[in-house]
Amino acid sequence: MDKRIKPLLAAAMMCAALPALAAEIVVVVNPKNPASRMFSEQAAQFFLGKSTLFTPIEHTEGPLRNEFSQKVLGKDSAQVKAQWSKLVFTGKGTAPKEYGSSAEVKKAVAADVQAIGYIEKSAVDDSVKVILTVQ
Amino acid sequence: MTMKRMCSALAALSAASFAIQAGAQESGPTVTISGFGTAALTSTDTNDAEFIRPNQASGVKKDWRTGVDSNFGIQATVKVNDMISFTGQGLVRKDAIDHYRAQAAWAFAKFKINDDFSVRVGRMGAPIYMISDFRNVGYANTMLRPPAEVYRQVTLDSFDGVDLLYQHSFGDTALSVQLGTGRADVDQPAQNIEFRKMLLLHVVAENGPFTLRFGRAQADFSVVDNPTLTGLVTTLRTVGLGSVANMMPLNDVKGTFTSVGGTMDWKNVVLQAEYAMRRTDTLIVHDTNSWYAMAGYRFGKVLPYYYHGSIKQKSDRSVAGLPTTGPLAPLGAGVNNLAKAALQTSDAIGVRWDFYKSLALKVQVDHIKPKDGPGAFINTKPGFNESVNVYAVALDFVF
Repeated sequence: MDKRIKPLLAAAMMCAALPALAAEIVVVVNPKNPASRMFSEQAAQFFLGKSTLFTPIEHTEGPLRNEFSQKVLGKDSAQVKAQWSKLVFTGKGTAPKEYGSSAEVKKAVAADVQAIGYIEKSAVDDSVKVILTVQ
Repeated sequence: MTMKRMCSALAALSAASFAIQAGAQESGPTVTISGFGTAALTSTDTNDAEFIRPNQASGVKKDWRTGVDSNFGIQATVKVNDMISFTGQGLVRKDAIDHYRAQAAWAFAKFKINDDFSVRVGRMGAPIYMISDFRNVGYANTMLRPPAEVYRQVTLDSFDGVDLLYQHSFGDTALSVQLGTGRADVDQPAQNIEFRKMLLLHVVAENGPFTLRFGRAQADFSVVDNPTLTGLVTTLRTVGLGSVANMMPLNDVKGTFTSVGGTMDWKNVVLQAEYAMRRTDTLIVHDTNSWYAMAGYRFGKVLPYYYHGSIKQKSDRSVAGLPTTGPLAPLGAGVNNLAKAALQTSDAIGVRWDFYKSLALKVQVDHIKPKDGPGAFINTKPGFNESVNVYAVALDFVF
């Protein structure tokens, strides 16, 4: 095998392996929220606009959001966006606010008792409460 | 009661109590602006007829045009607090008046009574069809345009009035019910229609990848500003054909539209279908049964699909006992023409490609076969009855 291709191949393999190494995602709510645990299907209801009991906080488009969309919502981000555009442009819902990092999402969840968000597990602290670990 | 249900119930209860607290510490009104649009080019393989979307005054022939499938909408929502919000949406497109123009698609105030009930007052989308509310939002739809066989039966986008929205989850099934009443005035190319005493019901049940929908709309409608039609009725009476004139009342005619539909988005298989029945008490707005079915398969970001649409007329396509010879023959032919619904079938293939965030590219080819007349085509050459291919490329966006 050509020596120049080998490092490229190794890099490609690392990239392919990346999703497995991706940060663990947890779903968090405000500590004042009495909910203590939640199923994936329930969390999905909020992020797909099917329930308005909690206010979902989203991430801007990126790997974290993609992983959450795939694993919890069972859709890719374009499908999720199409779903929200149905609700938004019928005046039936307001699309979730989007933030660029786990730190900002955490801050938004800590500031609103009704909020529900998801962040990297490593970002968890006392300001939010974990109710679901995404498998 | 299952564990899961108990959890949802508990979550619901606790969230409800917190909603009140959150309401108390509100932080002033918030304004959200969002928009959608489609930039499209459409053409056909004939110059003998024009292809339109329902209610457009002019369409396309062999030359590529933007007018049929392009639109742009913008929406603002002002959330005053957790209870009250105002929403306005403007839509620019080509419609009954033959140039792009802006319409106030809707403008309403929404009052949230509790987590299950809301009331809206103002101008709202009329839930005639399954995708009524978002049919102008290309990005929210798989197909490039709603199938005309069904979606041209009631050319009504919005109504002025009040509606009650109910939303509740029963286990894994989310139910939403919309019950509205009000009125609407609709511009059509050669006339206007006034809908009064409207009653609109829209029931949607969602369970995972499945959605079922039932709709029922009824109204008393009047055809106004159509001198040809009123002239015809007067003439019929003067020449002693009063019984025929009586078959075509133009004012306060009762009409109903009943439809069922469903969608499925499961393991990359995307299905969507609707069946609709239109019934009226006048000869000139025909009783029809129409339907379409769409199937698609998602390969990652690429979603190829196929649909078939069809319509049948249930009322008579001609009136018995009309004069066919002599000086009144043209009158008889005119009435018989009015009695005929536009019949056609469509077979379409298309593909949706979500190539970039908030952008989707669609290509669609429709093969439309008119039946016993020119179908839904307009400005047709005399005797036109051929199959037509319609080509369209569209870029849908939301922001």
